[in-house]
Amino acid sequence: MGVLRVEPARAQQWAARSIGAIWRAYDLQLTIYALLLAGFGLAMAYSNTVEAGGAVLSPGSTFVRGLMWAALAIVVFTAATAFDYTWFKTFAWPIYIVNLGLLGLSLAIGDGIGGSARWVSIGPFQVQFSEIAKILMIIVLANYLARRQGRLDRPWPILGACLLVGPPIVLVVLQPDLGTSLVFGAILMGMLFLSGASLRWLGALTAVILAAIPIAWTYVLRDYQKQRLISFLDPSADPQGSGFQLLQAQSAVSSGGPFGKGLTNGVADGSFLPVQTTDFVFAKLGEELGFIGALVVFVLFCALIWRVLVSGWRSRDPFGLLVAAGVGSMILFQFVVNVGMVIGVMPITGIPLPFVTHGGASLISLAFGLGILQSVNIRQLRAEW
Amino acid sequence: MTDDRPAADRRILRFVAFGIAVVLAVSGLTTRLFYLQITNVAQGVQQVAADTTVTQEIPSTRGLIYDRIGRPLVVNEPSYAVKIRPADLPDTERDRVVAELATLLKMSVGDINTAIDSNPGSRFDLVRIAQAVPKATADLIAEESASLPGVVVSVETQRQYLDGPLLSQILGYTGPIDAQELSALQSQGYLPDDLIGKTGVESVYEQQLRGTYGTETVQRDASGRPLQVLQTNQQPVPGDSLQLTIDAKEQKLAQQAVDWALKTAHLKSAVLIVENPQTGEILSMVSEPTYDDNAFATGISSKAYQALLNDPNQPLLNHAIAEQFPPGSTYKLVTATGALADKKITPTETFHTASYIYIGNTKFWDWHPGGFGDLSLQNGFAYSSDTFFYQVAMRLGVTRLAYWASQYGFGQPTGIDLPGEVSGIVPTEQWKQDTFGQPMQVGELAQAGIGQGYDTVTPLQLLDAYCALANGGTLYQPQVVREILGPDGTVVRPFTPKVIRKVPAPTADLQIMRLAARQVVASRMTYNLIDLPIVVAGKTGTAEFGVRDSKGRLPFHEWFVGFVPAHGDVSKPDSQLAVLGFVQDANTVGNVATEMVKYYLQLHFHLKVDLRLPALLAKGDFYGGD
Repeated sequence: MGVLRVEPARAQQWAARSIGAIWRAYDLQLTIYALLLAGFGLAMAYSNTVEAGGAVLSPGSTFVRGLMWAALAIVVFTAATAFDYTWFKTFAWPIYIVNLGLLGLSLAIGDGIGGSARWVSIGPFQVQFSEIAKILMIIVLANYLARRQGRLDRPWPILGACLLVGPPIVLVVLQPDLGTSLVFGAILMGMLFLSGASLRWLGALTAVILAAIPIAWTYVLRDYQKQRLISFLDPSADPQGSGFQLLQAQSAVSSGGPFGKGLTNGVADGSFLPVQTTDFVFAKLGEELGFIGALVVFVLFCALIWRVLVSGWRSRDPFGLLVAAGVGSMILFQFVVNVGMVIGVMPITGIPLPFVTHGGASLISLAFGLGILQSVNIRQLRAEW
Repeated sequence: MTDDRPAADRRILRFVAFGIAVVLAVSGLTTRLFYLQITNVAQGVQQVAADTTVTQEIPSTRGLIYDRIGRPLVVNEPSYAVKIRPADLPDTERDRVVAELATLLKMSVGDINTAIDSNPGSRFDLVRIAQAVPKATADLIAEESASLPGVVVSVETQRQYLDGPLLSQILGYTGPIDAQELSALQSQGYLPDDLIGKTGVESVYEQQLRGTYGTETVQRDASGRPLQVLQTNQQPVPGDSLQLTIDAKEQKLAQQAVDWALKTAHLKSAVLIVENPQTGEILSMVSEPTYDDNAFATGISSKAYQALLNDPNQPLLNHAIAEQFPPGSTYKLVTATGALADKKITPTETFHTASYIYIGNTKFWDWHPGGFGDLSLQNGFAYSSDTFFYQVAMRLGVTRLAYWASQYGFGQPTGIDLPGEVSGIVPTEQWKQDTFGQPMQVGELAQAGIGQGYDTVTPLQLLDAYCALANGGTLYQPQVVREILGPDGTVVRPFTPKVIRKVPAPTADLQIMRLAARQVVASRMTYNLIDLPIVVAGKTGTAEFGVRDSKGRLPFHEWFVGFVPAHGDVSKPDSQLAVLGFVQDANTVGNVATEMVKYYLQLHFHLKVDLRLPALLAKGDFYGGD
């Protein structure tokens, strides 16, 4: 465990800067793209609520809960922006411990849905700690790798980063939440890649992971997970069972056509099966908003990832770059795997679609990550030319 | 300000590579989306329609079972079943839901968990938890459905066996299909929550009884729950019904005779079978102790089931066919027929009988101290002299004895249309070598000749052999199902007697043996059986088994197998009624089996006399041989 060190230098610089300089350093595009994507999510929540026959504004409806989560996300985003991100470097190790604690806690007291222990009830909300864990893990990894700049040609930092990610992955797999553990892996690979770590050793790491797949398949994965993983290859083999979701999703998307059926006109009510209710929201989006709507979402994701990368690129602090790498990798991986799953080119893994899936913790987690990036952006002391 | 970034050049390449990866991935997704939404529109829309509707099975009505007179023995009762779809039951809720169900259904938590865990289908298939649930309970569970995720109450039909234990061994019962059966039968349209015939004719005639399931198109919501039936594609075809050879009234009489004998003699286990020697039809078949098949049809608790399994008298086993016993003196029919047919003895030739004879250096005892002096075949059979038949068996030899035994149907299943039949043992040289690695001893041949030693038979085999004697030499395959009737009552499969073989003994020799069997009764070896106002011929048997007591005596089973000639003349092969009585582990003064059969014959022929001799059923100190 590391020693706590306070780094107060930046605080003074922050106070000394003008509002105008901060505004110029703030990446408005990043915020706008994220808000638009979240808007799509709310639109789908609205559509779901209407189709389910409930009053849109009644407390507890999907839409109202979505609004509440969105409001909370904006608060978190703003707070994270205002907060000096360098403190995260200071507290990286305690954050890591908290992270493991939260994951251990959900394992111990979590409420299962379909046989898992992912959710922890806090008051009226059900929180999926593994979502928060993703962003905490990005902070911890960013701090670790940033401190090892210049030594990334050697295998040891890579190995160390793997050892750091190992325990959370194990805890998440135990829940069991295969999807989130894959996201952790994607975050790690993305951060190592963009940090400039030696390609040779990254290649070796990839080879090890590939070699481990058959072992994991035999000893770690449960039968229903395997069934879901392979059912995408041929969903019609078991159309009433695990392939049902997939056939439903694809036919829903397909029925959307170029322009979609319009909001609230979908057949699929988003609850294809008791589990993964919201992970298939893109099917509904494709059905109701059509090819054009889906394409807009694709473009928004590309734009957002672009802005995230630009934030990282501009950061002179390697920590900022690494956070951007982590957040970017996370968004890209989840986006590709989730949409791929819905349209039948990826296995079912239970990974939410960033911003659009009505899962509170996922949105909060993303807001937190993007907030840190904005915090990095406005604290880069760029020369005012 | 870029000079303070280490390895910046390399990083540019990495960022560009990352960007390219993003573009490639999104292009891939877009391509697939384009294919799904633009080029594939017409087909896709159709598919949505097809996918929200599914084809599902409509269960057919299971065929009924009647007795030979047409009395219904099994009916289908509408009933409620409680099932669980494991995919809808969260793991964390499971303990609570199972506990709640256990209270409502008055089942044990263990039984419910076992049912869920041994689910033969996938997690999305329904698992049967309980059937024959009372309406009030079913209503309660349906009302509580919000707090019982995954629990489904469905209406189905359930078998009700009108006579309960009386016909359990023959009818069997239906029960939930298990994983093994499902994997074998899924291709034939069986469903994971189906009921299937488990034993008895319910299982042997499963295919005919089940019928053919129909299909209907059902609209369902996105989570797969059926909303409404859109159309029926194929009507279900009801199963065929069975008409048994069993006469329920005769079965009751047989049961009455068995109950009386067991109760009077304080015994537990007996068999009584009645067969028509001219056709092989089984008119009644009682195996005590037995069980109530309704307990299984309504879903037996594991505790009750364990109790049945652990009962030393094996109530679940049909002792008439599923267990083999030494036949004792009844087997002398084989020895005698073989020796006559092989011309090893003549009907008039006499053998000297005594307390014992020497075979090698060993004394082989007669059951009767002092023997009977010089006897010919008919009296040797009548008195059941052991020393007589030792000598006959040794003349016949082991190979020919085994040959005649198998001609009479021993050592092979009769092929009756009931499950679980065993084949019995006919010892041969080969068999002795294979089993013990030793050649057959001459003493063992002598023992085999009187139905002791290695010979074992099922009660049904023995009865069938005597039926062949009674009908002049035709060995019929016993049957319990007479006709198969279509749903409209027309005969789909008429009754045809099935001949296993003709016993290759001259009819004259068989006639001699029928007269010898009559002589058994006439000589009062069966006490007052001769006094019945009908003509009965038959043979008693006492078969030692198990472990000797302190005085070197063995416990024994008792047999009587006989037939009633149609017109009072045993020389004619016209009998239409053969009866076998078998009582297990019966150390009584007289032969319980004979008394039991006598009582049955009195009931069957409505005789005005009652010649039962309860004194013979008192506990005796007899032990061994007759």
